[in-house]
Amino acid sequence: MRLNDCDPGFKQEIAREPGGQGIQACFACAACTARCPVGELKPEYDPRRLLRLAVLGRREEVLASPLIWLCCSCQSCSEVCPQDVRCSDVLTAIKNLAARAGYAPPSGQAMARQLAAHGRLLTVGEFENEKRAELGLPPVSEEPADYQAILGAEAAAPRPAGEGA
Amino acid sequence: MCPLSAQNTPVLIIGGGVAGLTAALELDRRGLPSLLVDKGPRLGGQARGFCCKALVSCARCGACRVGDLLEQVARRPGIQVLTQALPVAAQRQGPGWEVTLIPQPAPEGSAPALAPALAMERPLAQRLVVQAGAVILAVGHQVFDPARKSRLGHGRVPGVISAGQLEQALAQGGLPGQARRIAFIQCVGSRDQVLGRLYCSRVCCGFALRLARLARHLAPESAVTFFHMDVQDYGQAWRAELAEMRADLRFIRAIPGQVRRGQEGPVVAYAGEGGQPQEEEFDLVVLATGLEPPTAAPAFNEMFGLQPGPEGFLAPGAGVLVAGTAAGPRSIAESIEHAALAAAQAGLHLAAGQPAPRGEVAHA
Amino acid sequence: MPRPALCWLQAPGLEGLDPQELARAAGLELDRGGVLEAAVVNIPEAQAPADLRLRLLGRPVQWLDLAAEVGGGQPQHRLARAAASLARAAGRASLGTLAPVYTPQANQRVLVAGQGLGALEAARQAALLGHPVLLALPGDDPASPAVGEDPAQVARLAASLPAGIEFSPASRLDNLTGAGGSFQAWLDTPQGQSRQRFGAVLLTPAGGWETEPSPPGLDPSLARPLMDWESQPLSSQPGWRQVAILVGVSRPASAQAFGRALKAALALQGQPRLQVTLLFREALVAVEQGERLYRQARSAGVLMARLAQGDPRVAGEGRTLIWQDQVLGEELELTPDLVLLSQEISAPWPTFLQNEVLWPPRQRLLPEHARLDGGRTARSGFYILGALRGTAPGGERLAEAAAAAQDLHELLGGGATPLPAVRNLICARCLTCVRVCPHGVPEHQDDHIQPAPAACLACGICAAECPAEAIAPPGWSTAELLEGLKQGLARAPKPALVLFACGQSVMPALASLSRAGRPWPAGLLVQPLNCAGRVGLELILRALSLGAEGVLVAGCHDGMCRSLTGNLRARLATGQAASTLDELGLGADAVGFLHMASNQPQTLARTIEDMYGRLGRPGQAGQGE
Repeated sequence: MRLNDCDPGFKQEIAREPGGQGIQACFACAACTARCPVGELKPEYDPRRLLRLAVLGRREEVLASPLIWLCCSCQSCSEVCPQDVRCSDVLTAIKNLAARAGYAPPSGQAMARQLAAHGRLLTVGEFENEKRAELGLPPVSEEPADYQAILGAEAAAPRPAGEGA
Repeated sequence: MCPLSAQNTPVLIIGGGVAGLTAALELDRRGLPSLLVDKGPRLGGQARGFCCKALVSCARCGACRVGDLLEQVARRPGIQVLTQALPVAAQRQGPGWEVTLIPQPAPEGSAPALAPALAMERPLAQRLVVQAGAVILAVGHQVFDPARKSRLGHGRVPGVISAGQLEQALAQGGLPGQARRIAFIQCVGSRDQVLGRLYCSRVCCGFALRLARLARHLAPESAVTFFHMDVQDYGQAWRAELAEMRADLRFIRAIPGQVRRGQEGPVVAYAGEGGQPQEEEFDLVVLATGLEPPTAAPAFNEMFGLQPGPEGFLAPGAGVLVAGTAAGPRSIAESIEHAALAAAQAGLHLAAGQPAPRGEVAHA
Repeated sequence: MPRPALCWLQAPGLEGLDPQELARAAGLELDRGGVLEAAVVNIPEAQAPADLRLRLLGRPVQWLDLAAEVGGGQPQHRLARAAASLARAAGRASLGTLAPVYTPQANQRVLVAGQGLGALEAARQAALLGHPVLLALPGDDPASPAVGEDPAQVARLAASLPAGIEFSPASRLDNLTGAGGSFQAWLDTPQGQSRQRFGAVLLTPAGGWETEPSPPGLDPSLARPLMDWESQPLSSQPGWRQVAILVGVSRPASAQAFGRALKAALALQGQPRLQVTLLFREALVAVEQGERLYRQARSAGVLMARLAQGDPRVAGEGRTLIWQDQVLGEELELTPDLVLLSQEISAPWPTFLQNEVLWPPRQRLLPEHARLDGGRTARSGFYILGALRGTAPGGERLAEAAAAAQDLHELLGGGATPLPAVRNLICARCLTCVRVCPHGVPEHQDDHIQPAPAACLACGICAAECPAEAIAPPGWSTAELLEGLKQGLARAPKPALVLFACGQSVMPALASLSRAGRPWPAGLLVQPLNCAGRVGLELILRALSLGAEGVLVAGCHDGMCRSLTGNLRARLATGQAASTLDELGLGADAVGFLHMASNQPQTLARTIEDMYGRLGRPGQAGQGE
């Protein structure tokens, strides 16, 4: 990778995001990696590596990476970090930048599609309606018109995937 | 016993460790008597319990210099010693200071106290007011309490000890238990923004690596892993030693995230080669604890009206000099040189402050 | 021969010992306060009352630290050891002290050759202590700093110099011989070469910048030394985007150099549209503010690239640096517009110090001998400071200069510096002593061996090596030692083990064991020495022939000997003795050697016990703790 082609301003861009201030303090001691529960389950997930890529200014690679969305914000990394980087918060800042740049996690895209199609993230079927009936609640349908009626028309207008997070 | 309630001395030295002993000696060499006080029952400070780290060749750790200094101080009649004496108040008096000392009870069973008393170690009997032309603060440092980094398991996980504890074990002649797999974790309490210790403690790399080498020497079948960020430099001779140690020990450039209790010994979680969390069991985990400012630093700042020094250590003020690790992390040899300068400056201060200079600084 | 009396003063550690009984056992008169011919005193000189010291003035006196030599244990063992110890001292006292042939005065002049903080502070302190000082400056201005120093700080110091300092501008120290109290210096000045005598000499050259080697193959037009750049800022190069700084890449760097590289990186990173990458092997932050500066540079946006050995490679027609990123595990490439190479302060070793017959080899002097701090060297009165010793500019240079000035003052003040006695009538002029003395004391002048007046540490290496027994520090001649051993061994219970004990490492350990009440084997005979180097093959074999069952020689660890090689010479002699005994069929087990430090009393105790075990009758060994 040629550093001349990287974006040296990327790290400052992250640092300007809320929670992203710590990124430049990282000295790559890997205490975060040692404690990361995600990394234990998914070997290619390494918070130190993500921060390193961001510091080097590899903008597209970081923002497009599906890995940035895996952080579960458990703050284990923040707890062990000697340099007060707050790795979890830095990843949130990166996620915000990614979302603004039009990148969304695969799971987020699926959710947006579900929301656009049905107005809710849960599929409502017979089981749910039977339970509702037991509690004396009216049934809901799979149709978007239903939740438009509940929340008002404006809230229901589905936005294209990727613009919101 | 000291029957006096008031006393005059050209220089009052507070703290009887390496720096305080050196300052007293250097002053005596200049023909200036001094009063050396220590709040504990024994002189020699923290380094008195340190072990020799030589294999065949001297490792230049400087630990044996403490004994040399004690022997020399004992031979100098110009140096008066009072132990178990705590300074509680100070008042500016001309160019010097008037310092009030109160007796301290003898502590029970601390490590240096196990050593038999030297003839010169005499405890302060009653409240004493000392009028001194200059004061040298040689109050040493505090070793970082590794339990504050609780995730590294000190005090909770059996087999996790501090480098100081390993030192004591080695001084008494061996490794604790049957330690064959030994891990050192560096920078515990140093280079740490979160703890407010954003400085390198300077001495721990050399200290830990020499201990590691000694442990390997005492138990040749043992294997040592060295978790670190950066290995600090200690000059030309050190570089050759380091090259040998790099071949002999396993260096891993990562700070472990956690030490937990395992089947046989402590288990260290660290970032492995490819950036995945990895766990490894050891028999002994040694935490290289950093040097902190002396706990009494704020009290001395208030007593002598001093500005806080770098990183919370002590800085000199009017008629007050600071020697050794009280002024910042440094090794035994560096503390000796630093204290020599403090003594020289105290001599100059006395010469400047007195209308009729005395002793051998008369040429000033 | 004078008849020594025993002066007994009660001291801690001597409880239960009856002076009457001991005097009888050791064949001494007990002092009753009259005129004394010679004396053995059971306490160290510093602890003796002034009136006793006055009474003994000018008499042969043996001062003992009897409490340390006796130790703890069973009463009859302590009594036996005390008697042997006193008898040995009596043997030596009855010989009297060999008077030196002449008593030269130490020259009080001090030569400071060099410039900067260390030179000025050393000159100032020495002058304040009353010494005439010649400050030999390489240039004209005393206020010019050494490389890397703050000019303002140096100027302030130069302005505060006291009277009594003579300046010799544009001077160079060309050659130096001699030792403490009697150096001869050849000075090159614009007026020609002059030869002058000094009591002490301090070297503190200004030093120079040594530049980190450029990576092989790098376009030379890209690379610039870091400190050159400091005087020429980059604002005139608006097109530049990428700057690389190399520090400690192809060889180890110091924390000071790393700090300078960080400062340069910070300054450059502050310029618009410029990205600085710092390439290094280790982040060296072990200096005040070092870690803060490192963090500050990262926060400012400087890229930190930690390299493995062998990196960076150069490609792209010498304009591209390639290295393996240790976090990512992949190669990174950088085509910088400028490569700054870090610089270290260094100073060349003066040519006269390269004469290894007259001067101890470099590795023995530098950079860290645990006993030689404050710029001291094995050659008493000769000090190496500043850039030559590797001391960082600033406070540390002031500290070592102050310590050196104090040390030379004490040395030239006379104090208790011994002067070796030379028996010129039997001296063969073989110059062995000149060759072996680590402190440069004996000098061959006018066909005589003349010792320098303030340089001898009484290590006794000359006495151990001299084939004619013609030179020895007073009190340490073979005759004196043997007389003592003879009397001691005559009274020591069997089996007798002679411990030749180095005063630097072994005697303090013995003293601390004794204070702790450690029981010693009854037949242990401690022969205190200033340095194990005094021993030599002859003394070991003679001790055995006088009736000792075993001989243990104990000295400092390698590299710790104040006399550089005394411990190694003693070990060699012990080895020679062992193989001689082996050849004679007497068993090499009777002799042993121990390397130890003063804080290893347990090692010493164990070795003594082991030795007794080997002597065949271990029954009388102490019980341990």
